[in-house]
Amino acid sequence: MSPGAASGPHPLGARRRGAVLASIALAIAYAGLAPAAASATQVPASQPLVVVLGGHVARSGPSADAARIEPVAARRPLTRARTVLPVIGEAAAGAWLRVRLPGRPNGHAGWISARRTRSTSTPWRLLVELSARRVTVYRGGHVRRQFRVVIGKPSTPTPRGAFFVEEALALSSYEAGAPFALATSARSNALQEFEGGPGQIALHGTDNISGALGTAVSHGCVRLSTGAITWLAKRIGAGVPLTIAR
Amino acid sequence: MSSPTPSKRGFAGAIFAVVLALAALPAFAQAAPVHLETASPFVVLAGTAVTNTEASVLNGDLGVSPGTELTGFGVAVVNGATHKTDGVAALAQSDLTNAYNVAAGQPILLGNNLSGTNLGNRKLGPGAYQYTSEALLTGALTLDAEGDPNAQFVFKITSSLTTASASSVVLINGASPCNVYWQVGSSADLGTTTAFQGNLMALTSISLKKGATVLGRMLARNGQVSLIDNVLTQPGCATGSSGSPTTESGSADSGSSGSGSSGGSGKAGKVRKTTHNGTAVARPTPREACTAGFRATVRGKMIKRVVFSLDGKQVQSKGAAPFVVSVRAAPGTHTVRARVTFKDATHAKTVTLPYRACAAAALHPRRGPSTFTG
Repeated sequence: MSPGAASGPHPLGARRRGAVLASIALAIAYAGLAPAAASATQVPASQPLVVVLGGHVARSGPSADAARIEPVAARRPLTRARTVLPVIGEAAAGAWLRVRLPGRPNGHAGWISARRTRSTSTPWRLLVELSARRVTVYRGGHVRRQFRVVIGKPSTPTPRGAFFVEEALALSSYEAGAPFALATSARSNALQEFEGGPGQIALHGTDNISGALGTAVSHGCVRLSTGAITWLAKRIGAGVPLTIAR
Repeated sequence: MSSPTPSKRGFAGAIFAVVLALAALPAFAQAAPVHLETASPFVVLAGTAVTNTEASVLNGDLGVSPGTELTGFGVAVVNGATHKTDGVAALAQSDLTNAYNVAAGQPILLGNNLSGTNLGNRKLGPGAYQYTSEALLTGALTLDAEGDPNAQFVFKITSSLTTASASSVVLINGASPCNVYWQVGSSADLGTTTAFQGNLMALTSISLKKGATVLGRMLARNGQVSLIDNVLTQPGCATGSSGSPTTESGSADSGSSGSGSSGGSGKAGKVRKTTHNGTAVARPTPREACTAGFRATVRGKMIKRVVFSLDGKQVQSKGAAPFVVSVRAAPGTHTVRARVTFKDATHAKTVTLPYRACAAAALHPRRGPSTFTG
């Protein structure tokens, strides 16, 4: 759970549903803006999340009869930490939750049952602006930090869209991108696999790896200085929304 | 009329959500808050050096980082700590950089581009203002908070800021030097006997001519700060208050607000305040006392309505007892205000309750393999 997160049981109350809907509407407005405008637009103060406590199946609608999209594991593959997903809608008085899903196709979503889940929220939000080579960190809707970054080179660009942090990792000191990585739900549109992984996009450090901040030389990942990724890793947990914009 | 069904309520929620979204879009005019964080205690902070001539007085901390030069302070008075190339100054410089960048990223309304005009002899309301080249101040600049003590003023100046001799920055109607930020893209030069207010954040250097005074902070990122017989005071940014109703406050986690002071003496307007669990009421919270959340209770006779705000933004309006609000905010010092109106002829009162929110617990990510695209 992210720091400062509030938790409670499902089903969600009407007030919470209103908050979710408001967050959806604001997120739509936010994601659709040009980068210059995005940095000036009011950012939602909080993002509803759901902690997945057991195996689920994501479906195309809020019903057990709806088409099956994919299984949703209760734990993430790299760290075995709990799966935490952003909630972007709900139905049947909170019995079904529309959530963002990790992996391909980028930015896809589905419905899961609210059973065997726990509601929570996060005040954190990340915005990567590719043209500015910058990540902006929001907390409670306010800018808390901005960091220069390395982004993907033209042949392996960093994908754009609405994503989230899948899991946070501490990397061994000898590994590329140490000391920390925020593995995201985004996948490279150019590389179907990389280093034995699924072409997963991460925000990570610059240890044991070349490339100056402010350049576009990565294979798609977003690289930050050691100080910046350390600051993020202490605060940004699973489920935190990530928007990658032009 | 029958009450709406849950599905109708959901539809109403959707309509409300859309209204909220639309209402949020014109927020370009709203300036994002600038936080100096650990740079706050400094009245002077420089990147390479701080030089002083004659008997300057610094009411606040003095620091330099990564440079090492502090010269001419034998005749000066420093009523604060001195941080010479230490971790405190380095961290403050880091936070200054972030504050500078946040100020530089402020959205500018079309009419707030003041390029080519003099700042002197004009009155400005809260907001962010821009100069695409240098800015000049000749005479008095008045900043009008329009009654909002949290009103923020940001000046984005692409190159230099220069003030003529005897110029001044005047704050009226509740404006605070704590909330005035000058982001200067090169260097600033304050003329002799200038009376300056606000937090001046310069990318390079800051020079104060003889007799200039500052209520605020002089913060240079990469260059030096030079002083000549100046008086600089780091403003106390906490606010006190007076108010009529009885108020309580405490950690939202402790549930302490249910106990404590009783109501007024029978006549609206009686004042009494209490403190719980080390969380201060109506005075700055001690630095070591912080809480994850904060709960404030207003009690009294003949209260008609209490409107609570957090850092200037309304968070709750209650027309019936109990008049209680629980808030959570980002780490740092915050202000909860309760605007109390009465059923009788008693004048409305505002009660101010500062508190400090603790930094959230740090996360400790688990170990995992680096299998990303890199």
